[in-house]
Amino acid sequence: MSNYLFLVEDPLQQTYDAIVVGSGATGGWAAKQLAEAGLKVALLEAGRAVTPKEFTEHMPAYKLKYRDHSPEIVRTRPIQKQCYACMEYNYEWFVNDLENPYSTPAGKPFTWQRLRILGGRSMVWGRQSYRMSDNDLKAASRDGYGDDWPLSYADLAPYYDIVENYVGISGAAEGNEMLPDGKFLPPMKMSCGEIRLRERVKAKFGYTVTIGRTAILTQNHKGRLQCHYCGPCERGCSTFSYFSSPFTTVKDALASGNCTLITNAVVSQVNMDNAQNKASGVTYVDRLTRQVKEVRGKTVILCAQALESTRILLNSSTREYPSGLANSSGALGHYLMDHVVGGGASGRLADFKVLPDANEPARPNGIYIPRFRNTPTSGKHPRFIRGYGFQGGAGADFNFDAEGYGASFKKAVKEGVYSISMGAFGESLARWDNYCEIDRGLKDAWGIPALRISMTHGDNEHALMEDASATAAEMLEAAGAKDIKVQANVEMPGMAIHELGTARMGTDPKKSVLNPYNQAHDVKNLFVMDGASFVSSACQNPTLSMMAITVRACDHLIDRFHKTDV
Amino acid sequence: MKRREMIRASLFAGAAAAVRPPLSAAQSTAMPSELTPAQSGVDASKDLSAPGWKPLFLDEHQNETLIILSDLIIPATDTPGAKEALVNRYIDLVLAAESSEAQRSFLNSLGYLDGESIRRYRAAFRYLKREEQDDLLHALAYPRTASGWSGEADATPDLGHAHFEALKQRIATAYYNSQIGTKELGWDGAFAHGPYEGCTHPEGNHK
Ligand SMILES: Cc1cc2nc3c(=O)[nH]c(=O)nc-3n(C[C@H](O)[C@H](O)[C@H](O)COP(=O)(O)OP(=O)(O)OC[C@H]3O[C@@H](n4cnc5c(N)ncnc54)[C@H](O)[C@@H]3O)c2cc1C
Ligand code: SF4
Repeated sequence: MSNYLFLVEDPLQQTYDAIVVGSGATGGWAAKQLAEAGLKVALLEAGRAVTPKEFTEHMPAYKLKYRDHSPEIVRTRPIQKQCYACMEYNYEWFVNDLENPYSTPAGKPFTWQRLRILGGRSMVWGRQSYRMSDNDLKAASRDGYGDDWPLSYADLAPYYDIVENYVGISGAAEGNEMLPDGKFLPPMKMSCGEIRLRERVKAKFGYTVTIGRTAILTQNHKGRLQCHYCGPCERGCSTFSYFSSPFTTVKDALASGNCTLITNAVVSQVNMDNAQNKASGVTYVDRLTRQVKEVRGKTVILCAQALESTRILLNSSTREYPSGLANSSGALGHYLMDHVVGGGASGRLADFKVLPDANEPARPNGIYIPRFRNTPTSGKHPRFIRGYGFQGGAGADFNFDAEGYGASFKKAVKEGVYSISMGAFGESLARWDNYCEIDRGLKDAWGIPALRISMTHGDNEHALMEDASATAAEMLEAAGAKDIKVQANVEMPGMAIHELGTARMGTDPKKSVLNPYNQAHDVKNLFVMDGASFVSSACQNPTLSMMAITVRACDHLIDRFHKTDV
Repeated sequence: MKRREMIRASLFAGAAAAVRPPLSAAQSTAMPSELTPAQSGVDASKDLSAPGWKPLFLDEHQNETLIILSDLIIPATDTPGAKEALVNRYIDLVLAAESSEAQRSFLNSLGYLDGESIRRYRAAFRYLKREEQDDLLHALAYPRTASGWSGEADATPDLGHAHFEALKQRIATAYYNSQIGTKELGWDGAFAHGPYEGCTHPEGNHK
């Protein structure tokens, strides 16, 4: 009898309806949707659980031993420290680079910035949230490059609604053809400099400058409190005002009573029932004990973020799928994308006489200029296809760069400078020769073969950034900025932290890994529901779209499941 | 290990535990739960003012030079300056943890200051009179401008200015991140100050 009870309670002795791998932005949604629909879900997360007790958003830097210059970051996180959000406060949320290696070919650097903790990167993300339009989803048929998505805006719109309603996105409706409006909470306010930029850019160029659309609450929403403008969200939020999965989707999934969370479960591969050509579950390594364990499930859903999900599939090859599971197309690992960044400009609005104020509410958001190149109204640009959007901001800052020294320097710091800046995020074209594969000579600390990532930005991305720099400078000039400094480099891939592709969706099983519902063409009960499925990158920050796509795929899965079709 | 040795070892372990200060609750949970010290609530703000402080990396001459330099760069005015903020101690702490490259580059800049000082006044920077120190810093503090009449840009890099800037950057960062520096900027110590109101000017009239 007691034996029997033990069996029922042991999470590894059950066969789940669905195994979700990864608890970040997308995995949280998959767990919530499936568990709330009545499926028995196991949510496997490589990292540890996270609690509000470890949030540090209200801790001043002088309480830190190294005031944000901790040698521990340099020692164990030489790659992660390239991410602006990895700091002395929170570096333990980011992976230890010594335990989580990957390789790159000579001359092709790639920075892979990631978290292994409940909630994944949703714990520190920048929260900018934009919809894609048919200009993005059907770009190929408009300019002839690449492939269209196998779904259209009309397919996605209802799911954007669901996600926005739940997450709470603050923003302003603009009626812009490139950036569909959503279900917004009240927008955050703009500064004087930003409003001037908005007015001048509209007058001179006819383009829209809008307040950033952000996954931060501007009013209380579904049991979470509105933002109190303390500023450093990437250190956690004790009022849960920005969207992170542990305190929203994952919490709901667990509350349903249908979801079992297994933390510290580093999934190494998907297991197959070869006779039936079906996934039977996953194998994982316990992160702390290094024991190897198995979980059985009727469906397997990978949400470990694009590159990690693809790594799991590449590491799951069988006799039937020698080059990676569900890879009869050969496309697995290919068409890796990450937005190109590095173009922009900054300057001073010298005629603004506003003093910087250390007690000003800190708005955790900036402004956004939706794409204006190669739009239906602008016509074709002679030098490049697709386009970019700008993020930026303007306001009075302390002038730590003031000249000189002594009492006059001290005074100049406080007199401040009214600065204005913008930086572009450009579309990254889907190219076969940007890809990841398994590096046979490299394993992580759990003995799991690691990735070799091979990606460069091409001519089109370079042309986008060149145009972005020049255009940013013109816009700042129109706003009356002085001392304009143009930033005209192309940063290494990975720097936008928007990895997409490597298991693209499509209608043709010969050219794509997933069908339009994120279901593997080859293995019907295997799904990849994160950014790996993206066909093109657009130029908008992608996470809102990823989540909408996850919810859509879950709807399909639930439907199929009830018809016992998977 | 033999039994007798084991007993000895355990006795030693006990003795060591007795003299070591007890771990705070925060510290003792830091390791197994994989939190940063900040996440486990460690407040290190008093570390540098501990009595009996000794530099970890700088020698006495370098430390004294840094104190004097920081006091010149950010002096006490109606508010405390870099010296009161113990900027030298913080810089020493960070240097001790940095790469040998970063350490060398800092010492180079400090050494350059002494070199210039000896060249002009035949004494190391810390032994100069206040006006001499000021004159020397003034010569380094502003970027050299190309000679106006020749029309040619000065091609040699402005080494003195670069060293000055490197030192100033360290000192300013240390100062404005200290508790004193945060007060200097006017922070009232509260983390929330109501909603962000943005621009309240009428259309087209922003200043
Ligand atoms: C600093 C920063 C700023 C960003 N800003 C924005 C922004 O403004 N707007 C935007 O749209 N996007 C932004 N992003 C990107 C955004 O965070 C990601 O697009 C999003 O989180 C991806 O969701 P995901 O579910 O695919 O992966 P993640 O959220 O990264 O979650 C993946 C989860 O899977 C787990 N996992 C990985 N491998 C395994 C394994 N083998 N076994 C078990 N679990 C595993 C991880 O531990 C993690 O918890 C930002 C990212 C960062 C880091
Ligand atoms: S700024 Fe707002 S969302 Fe960010 S941590 Fe503070 S309260 Fe939370």
